[in-house]
Amino acid sequence: MSEEASCHSEEWLTRALAGDAAAFGMLVRMHQRSVYSLALRMVSDRQKAEDLAQEVFLQLHRNLTTIESGAHLAFWLRKVTLNRSIDRLRREPKLEAIPLEAAEGVVSEATGADPLLTRRLNTLVAQLPAAPRAVLLLRYQEDLDPTEIARTLGMSLNTVKSHLKRSLSLLRERFGDTARSSI
Amino acid sequence: MSNDLDDDLRAALRPVDPGEKFTQSVLARVAEESTRSPRGPRLHTTTLRWASVALSISLVIGILVAHQWQVRRTQRGLEARKELIQALQLTGEKLDLAYRVVNDEEHPERGGEPGA
Repeated sequence: MSEEASCHSEEWLTRALAGDAAAFGMLVRMHQRSVYSLALRMVSDRQKAEDLAQEVFLQLHRNLTTIESGAHLAFWLRKVTLNRSIDRLRREPKLEAIPLEAAEGVVSEATGADPLLTRRLNTLVAQLPAAPRAVLLLRYQEDLDPTEIARTLGMSLNTVKSHLKRSLSLLRERFGDTARSSI
Repeated sequence: MSNDLDDDLRAALRPVDPGEKFTQSVLARVAEESTRSPRGPRLHTTTLRWASVALSISLVIGILVAHQWQVRRTQRGLEARKELIQALQLTGEKLDLAYRVVNDEEHPERGGEPGA
């Protein structure tokens, strides 16, 4: 999040804490892309991701007094979203083993990006196990550094680095396979 | 695929906006939850818990009071019985004495009769 956005976040947070529903709505708008995208790329199902993301914001509303700052809010939302997603995947293991086609809904509206490449990468990311997938999403979707990822997921820095290294080499390998098979 | 997998991943994994409908749904659910008042049921539960504790204490006190009352009643009954027995004994003795006095007055000669 940019410094300006973080500043606005503080302002909306203060107002939301005072009971301003519109300010809470602004907080939702500011963070819904991140929360929804994390949930969507974790559970690979639009409806389930929407439900999960809504539950996260409801939980936020109930725990608003525990949020200390805009930065803490972003950290809290990522952490709760990923924990809920991982719990969901544990309860419904079939969500983790999604077919290639089912991951199509997770494609971003990236401007200028190759749609085929974007779709393939999203599909391959969706096939990773839950923990390395969460690490990869925090690294490339949320642009966090390994230390922040470790703090968010409650992992050691070495585990995060190891997940990143293995996931990237797996993606390279699998991408090569799918590229060859599509020729 | 470009040479830089990092850049490709960043481009592919850009956040997706769920849209304004999502925001409205969240706000509607928050409003619904607020009208249901999450503090209401919690307060209700707390009140119920306190009420049940108060009821239990009252019940214990009630049982103790009833027990004490029963003990005192039994003691009073025993004391009354004792007093009644004493009164009956005294009455019996007095009646016996009176009978002897009356008997002596009616037959004063008996005391002087030879072989009496």
